Amino acid sequence: MAAPLFLLAPPRSYTSLINAMLGQHPQAFGLPELCLFNVKYLKEMWIRDSDEMSDDTRARQGLLRAVAEIYAGEQNKATITMANHWAAARQEWTTADIYRELVAKIHPLIAVEKSPAYTIALDRMLAMHEAFPDARFIHLTRHPVGQCKSVMQMNDGAFALYVNSIEFQEDRAVIEPQYQWHDLNINILNFLDTVPADRQLRLRGEDVMSDPPTQLARICRWLGIRDDAEAVDEMMHPERSPFACFGPLPALFGNDPNFLRGPTFHPHAVKVPRLDKPVPWRDDGKGLHPRVVALAQELGYA
Amino acid sequence: MSADGAPPRPGNRPKLGPVQGEPVTKRPDLAALTPRQRALRLAVIKEFKAKKVKKFVEKQVQHLNTNRQIVEGIKFLFDEHGAPPRNAPLEDIIQERRNIEYQIRWFDAVLQELRNRLTKVREIEDYAFESLGAEPLDE
Repeated sequence: MAAPLFLLAPPRSYTSLINAMLGQHPQAFGLPELCLFNVKYLKEMWIRDSDEMSDDTRARQGLLRAVAEIYAGEQNKATITMANHWAAARQEWTTADIYRELVAKIHPLIAVEKSPAYTIALDRMLAMHEAFPDARFIHLTRHPVGQCKSVMQMNDGAFALYVNSIEFQEDRAVIEPQYQWHDLNINILNFLDTVPADRQLRLRGEDVMSDPPTQLARICRWLGIRDDAEAVDEMMHPERSPFACFGPLPALFGNDPNFLRGPTFHPHAVKVPRLDKPVPWRDDGKGLHPRVVALAQELGYA
Repeated sequence: MSADGAPPRPGNRPKLGPVQGEPVTKRPDLAALTPRQRALRLAVIKEFKAKKVKKFVEKQVQHLNTNRQIVEGIKFLFDEHGAPPRNAPLEDIIQERRNIEYQIRWFDAVLQELRNRLTKVREIEDYAFESLGAEPLDE
């Protein structure tokens, strides 16, 4: 069974695009966001918890789409119904066993997955590693200003609020996305201390956007898979993935809606902002927190 | 493995956010917050939800005003080239809408039937207790 490749990154870090690119490699299989390691048993994905924000049924849509595609070869209402039955028959299984079944089914292709929700808790990433001791991990980074701006533009900062990225001021509380950028990356770094050095790679998303052929070929060599022009060219077409579009009505998502709407890759140089300027989402003219700046520098942002 | 043969342990780099938890989404540790901070946190969540509802209602009203523009409602499903969703054809969307409307009518009818039956049973129960000269147990 080929060990999977997991992309670890906070949301809005080019994860959808790069996951789909890697998944288009002839020796790989790009999965939608499965979110399996968010819980221990499969049935828990159907149980409403005490979350203050909302119950997100979207978390299981990626799994349903993946099962429909892998077992039936297409995604439509009937195959999503089949996927629901597939899941119901395995509801008492651990999510690790579910994941292993999917990976075995697509063998010898390498499963490639990113679910940004894994980075919310250290336990989730430890569970991934426990299920797949030979798995490889890419720590995908994005500049804090770019990532935070993007988080704030998506549903008025819903994700930042979801992870309690809140700043308390004298007479009010405000959503401050810097905390989620810092703490999710810290979770990843703390987790990666448990992973052997040759099974982890750190990659700046901006570098992939600017020069994808070079960076994708580098990843291929690290994975020990083909890095020839034909393979790299295939990876330049994330829109060819069966998951790079909306799914059938009962499972529309399984990924970032913006990516589902426009999955075609357009090469572009990303402008990397300075770390010492006021940040655009604050109305008091303040900039990045000193510890955010320090971590950004550690991750290679000057 | 570490030098002593034990599996490596996760690092312990400190976090920054004032609210922690494992996971922070479902089990936020609010004990570290003052009562005032807890209240402010709830206020920002309520404000967010209120904005979300307001936006939703505005969108719905706009649809109503334009005589239920179906295309507008499902426009987000169309891709960057304006092509319709390959997994969710318009026929499926319409069928799904009809199914849901049918199910709503069905549940409305079931609800009505249950209400009628409840009214009748209550009348019988009241009559029975009246005959016995006793009060119903749960009132």
